[in-house]
Amino acid sequence: MNTVQWIDARSVEEAVALLSAPAANGTIAKAGGLDVLDLMKEGIVTPARIVNLQRIDALRGVQFSDASGLRLGALTTLAEIANDASIRRHYPALAAAAVHAATPQVRNAATIGGNLLQRPRCWYFRNELFHAARNEIGREQAQYGAIFDNATSTMVHASTPVTALVAYDARVHVVGKQGKSRTIALSDFLLPPDFDRDRDTTLAGDEVLTHVSVPPVAAQTTAAYHKQTERDSYDWPICDVAVVLTTGDRKVDAAKIVVGAVAPVPRRMTASEKLLLGREIDEQLAAEAGRLAVRDATPTAKNSYKVPVLEAVIRRTIMAAIR
Amino acid sequence: MSASEDPREGRTILTGIVGDALQSATRSIPAGEPPELPPNSELRVIGKRVNRVDAVPKVTGQARYTFDVQLPGMLYGRIVSSTVPHARIKSIDTSAAQAHPGVRAVHILDRIVGIAQLRDPAAEANERYPLVRYHGQPIAAVAATSMRAAKAAAKLVKIEYERLPHVTSLEAAMQQDAPVVFPGPTEQAATAGGGGAAPGLPQEGNLRGPARGGLGGGPRGDVQQGFAQAERLLTREYRTQVQTHTPMETHGLVADWRDDELTLYASTQFVLSVRDEAADIFQLPKEKIRVISEFTGGGFGAKFGIGNYGSLAIHLSRKARAPVRVVLDRREEHVSVGNRPSSIQRVKLGAQRDGTLTALQVESYGTGGVAAGAGVGFCQSTMYPIPNLLTEHYDVFTDAGPCAAFRAPGQVQGIFALEQALDELAVELDVDPLALREKIDTNDTDDARARRVERRIGAERAGWSQRRPPAADPGPVKRGLGMAQSQWAYIVHGTTTCEVRIRGDGSVAAITGAQDIGTGTRTIMAQTVAEELGLQTEDVEARIGDSRYPAGPAAGGSRVTSSITPAARNAAYAAARDLAARVAPALEAKAEEIVFQDGRVFARGRPERGLTFKEAVRQASFDEIVQRADRREDYDGYRAKLGDLHISKQGIGGVQFAQIAVDTETGVVKVERIVAVHDCGRPINPKLIESQIYGGVIQGVSYALYEERHLDPGTGVQLNANIDQYKIVGSRETPDIDVHIIEQLGRQSSTDARGVAEPANVATAAAIANAFYNATGKRIRTLPMTPANVLAALRAADAADDEEPA
Amino acid sequence: MDDSTAAEPVSLALTVNGRPCTVRIDPAATLVEVLRDELHLTGTKVGCDRGACSACTVWLDGEVVASCMTFALDARGKSVTTIEGLAQGDRLHPVQQAFVEHDAMQCGFCTPGMVMSCAHLVERNPDCTLDDVRGAIGGHLCRCGAYPNIFKATLAAATTLRQRKQGDSA
Repeated sequence: MNTVQWIDARSVEEAVALLSAPAANGTIAKAGGLDVLDLMKEGIVTPARIVNLQRIDALRGVQFSDASGLRLGALTTLAEIANDASIRRHYPALAAAAVHAATPQVRNAATIGGNLLQRPRCWYFRNELFHAARNEIGREQAQYGAIFDNATSTMVHASTPVTALVAYDARVHVVGKQGKSRTIALSDFLLPPDFDRDRDTTLAGDEVLTHVSVPPVAAQTTAAYHKQTERDSYDWPICDVAVVLTTGDRKVDAAKIVVGAVAPVPRRMTASEKLLLGREIDEQLAAEAGRLAVRDATPTAKNSYKVPVLEAVIRRTIMAAIR
Repeated sequence: MSASEDPREGRTILTGIVGDALQSATRSIPAGEPPELPPNSELRVIGKRVNRVDAVPKVTGQARYTFDVQLPGMLYGRIVSSTVPHARIKSIDTSAAQAHPGVRAVHILDRIVGIAQLRDPAAEANERYPLVRYHGQPIAAVAATSMRAAKAAAKLVKIEYERLPHVTSLEAAMQQDAPVVFPGPTEQAATAGGGGAAPGLPQEGNLRGPARGGLGGGPRGDVQQGFAQAERLLTREYRTQVQTHTPMETHGLVADWRDDELTLYASTQFVLSVRDEAADIFQLPKEKIRVISEFTGGGFGAKFGIGNYGSLAIHLSRKARAPVRVVLDRREEHVSVGNRPSSIQRVKLGAQRDGTLTALQVESYGTGGVAAGAGVGFCQSTMYPIPNLLTEHYDVFTDAGPCAAFRAPGQVQGIFALEQALDELAVELDVDPLALREKIDTNDTDDARARRVERRIGAERAGWSQRRPPAADPGPVKRGLGMAQSQWAYIVHGTTTCEVRIRGDGSVAAITGAQDIGTGTRTIMAQTVAEELGLQTEDVEARIGDSRYPAGPAAGGSRVTSSITPAARNAAYAAARDLAARVAPALEAKAEEIVFQDGRVFARGRPERGLTFKEAVRQASFDEIVQRADRREDYDGYRAKLGDLHISKQGIGGVQFAQIAVDTETGVVKVERIVAVHDCGRPINPKLIESQIYGGVIQGVSYALYEERHLDPGTGVQLNANIDQYKIVGSRETPDIDVHIIEQLGRQSSTDARGVAEPANVATAAAIANAFYNATGKRIRTLPMTPANVLAALRAADAADDEEPA
Repeated sequence: MDDSTAAEPVSLALTVNGRPCTVRIDPAATLVEVLRDELHLTGTKVGCDRGACSACTVWLDGEVVASCMTFALDARGKSVTTIEGLAQGDRLHPVQQAFVEHDAMQCGFCTPGMVMSCAHLVERNPDCTLDDVRGAIGGHLCRCGAYPNIFKATLAAATTLRQRKQGDSA
């Protein structure tokens, strides 16, 4: 881990300027710093300069109103999300996802911005050696990798809160040069993880993620989130599932079923969602939604076990959402 | 002096299991042994739940581990490891590293320890550098003024390889045309922690063996005849994975080379093994080497000798003329300093309808990477009196890091197969698994006698009588109860000496060159001495962790308590008699009437006329009483002696019961409760014993459910060489553990104490596997029980190929 | 030559165990490196160096963090409490005392981090349950398997703290 120059950005504008300066090659922005440190320790990034975003107050804060929904400053920690009363009440799937992310120590430091932007946890990606010898990557070893959309890569996005955020139709707000801001649907913001890119999102190198917004949920909306792991203590998911249902007269008016860790990016299970519409949910229907969801899975030799697990977890999470 | 040479005396003593069957027996005991101790209920300090004497430094951060040693001018060492799995090194260029700012020394290893060695070194005698045989093999190291500089410089060492074909999986390495790891037959010496492999075995390709028999003795009877007598034959294959030790403190050594002395601060299980290996490699007289180990952050069998990292630290210190610290990072720890080998075990078991075993045949294969010693233990031979037995084991070399002794080496794998095979047999015969053990567990040994009691106690605590038939739960989550038996050798370290000092101020010290890997060595030593002198544990200062002290035992093989406590007691006894003679006149009594009790010294029957211990010492007026005692041989001798490793005819063990829940949809297994009933001779400190049994059970659960080293076949890289993807039981997976310890007075030494560390994790995986069957009606014969393996086991048609007897 | 590792040291001012201190550090240094190597507070351990074992746990402005995954510069102006700062003189923190009495350790290497997390829990929530304790140390690894005694010790310490608070308010 080589030494670096450290610069505190005092404002978003200053951060953007630092990131877009001609000498910005080798500059990396950090918030909580956990993923940056991990990548530096593994020798995967060797920044010459760190732009510290922690001191930008404009990136802090959780705001909620019934009318406009939720706004999460990029520096909001996972612990703050897990403990925030309005999030627990209105976006329980998001709170649950934050509760089950990483360790208490990490949740206290990790920010939602950094969480969305973290690189994949794939054990090839996190090893310097395979960045130099790309051709040696053993795809068949990816027992924790994707079972959908995996023709080119089995790497999956590492964030679990993202699964819940996509289910809540979250949007990402970024600011670039000359104060130019963009708002992107989170599902469009995320890109399939790739060794050859510097990041797994559409964020440009000279942009700063400022906040995440989540629209208000309709009345009669219930939700559930489940992260299926081998262990209950700190563990990465086999899969995670977020379900958001809006019901009227016990029948489903709108459904979101989003699964993570089984595809390169969180994946909406639209066929299963459609199946639920207009119907009253029971075990049988939930089970059918699970079956439908995994129908097109294309597992590799070592991760086919994920298919029945995902099927069961979808059924269970749908049932949990109506309880 | 050996037991046989000592003059002996006949004594009538009480022996057996306290609360069960204590009986009077006559034993021939070496003359001069202290009187035998009564059961713990009649003692004041031994057998009591005394706090660990070094707990306060541990909870306040004051305990100094090797990891914490910071010496003036100390340099930081960083190892350069191979980035290929199998290769000849053509050249090494260290010039850029040498020139890097802050670098004080660079060293290239010319000898690799801890791996199998060619029987005929000529085959590779002309190699300039040791061949690379696994990814992550240490090659060189750099010492610099900061870790950052050392890491940067290590990256500048340029190594040119000539790649050779490699093989990383056990099954691939067994193929006829597999790349060959070693060009000729090899030998593997044991460490003080065990391991090693039988010498002189045939080796073909990567297969070394067969080794027939082992610690429990060779083949016996005629298995074909035994199978012919059988009314039921069972043929099964069991598989276990590679597990890494993962101590929280990684291996490390701080070397301080001076002209007149080499001082080594070592995270070790045996300070003398560090001294001896350093003396051997550096051709130094042993007395010129001092090894210090105040605290060791776990070892589990892998921390013996100096290892390649330690050798590098010493070389660098010699070159730089400054202390050098080499502490492995977590990846190096996983890859290069030991693991529990995998196994494939083909078990054939013959029995009569009433459960009588007629024959057992086990053919096993295991890989310890580039080290031999991947056997599956001795349980096949020592646990049950099976008349016809044949075990044949093959070590299979692969291009992977070397195995090392790991908490009950071999036995953990062997018991997983044997105790599950017996459970399968019980199902076949439609008898209760406990009833089957009752029928067959009939050896004339202390451990077999203990297991009979342990089964009864365990069955009651685990609610065995309410056990349901297999797959009784209708829903997706199925619960079950299973049991398995544990056995380990009762081992004594031959060369163990303890010194007891009573100083003129009344303070007392007990000194031995042992070390503590977390079991509580200081505490049991202080307790033993305190009991003899009528003091409290905290009145005795226990000093360990220095090779200059009288020789202590290796902390491996569950032998510390069995070795130290008799030596400590005998030394304390001699010191007490010495003091008694000096203080007797003041008490107007004969020396032999003097007793030490509750901090007082008085003549037997006249406690009112006594003195406090300190007063007695003051009145006796001396500078210091120093008494040393050696660990004498067990009264009945040993079954075998392998150097300092003395193996009793008696064993130690226990019986464990597992209650688990299997989520048959997700494949997640949850261990809800373990009942662990164990024997360890006389329990010296139940609080510490419970801690060790908790630890053994938890490691057993971890092995059964989660742990597995994943190697990338293409590159030989360990993919999960970290803590989050190499999965280990955490707080939320810790089951409710009910420990019960029995008190068995074997009367083989002056304390009757035996070990407990290893038997505590031997049976756990088998008990869980048997509970899995009870829960689901399906067998899981492959570890670990990850969702992938569990779902595969649940899907499998039960295709056990039982033969009908001919 | 390109000396990429010669650090351009920067100044770091923080409070450690109640004492303000200023050190010159490499900007890439982690908090644990500063505590151990600069301030010689070696009670805080490093087990994995990736935030996955939590042996390096300290309190940063009263919250538990993994000091191996914290840039030291992120501790600027903040207050750090390490295991060395938990006891008041010879008076152990109730969690430390309970760890001693319940033998909530074996090799002891994970113990400082465990103590910091458990002490944080009981101070924050003296009514904590077994499940809370499991959660508080859900990111810690103890390879010796001291968990059952850590559970008992922490719950016992919580009881002690509750009683103290009742005593104070009575």
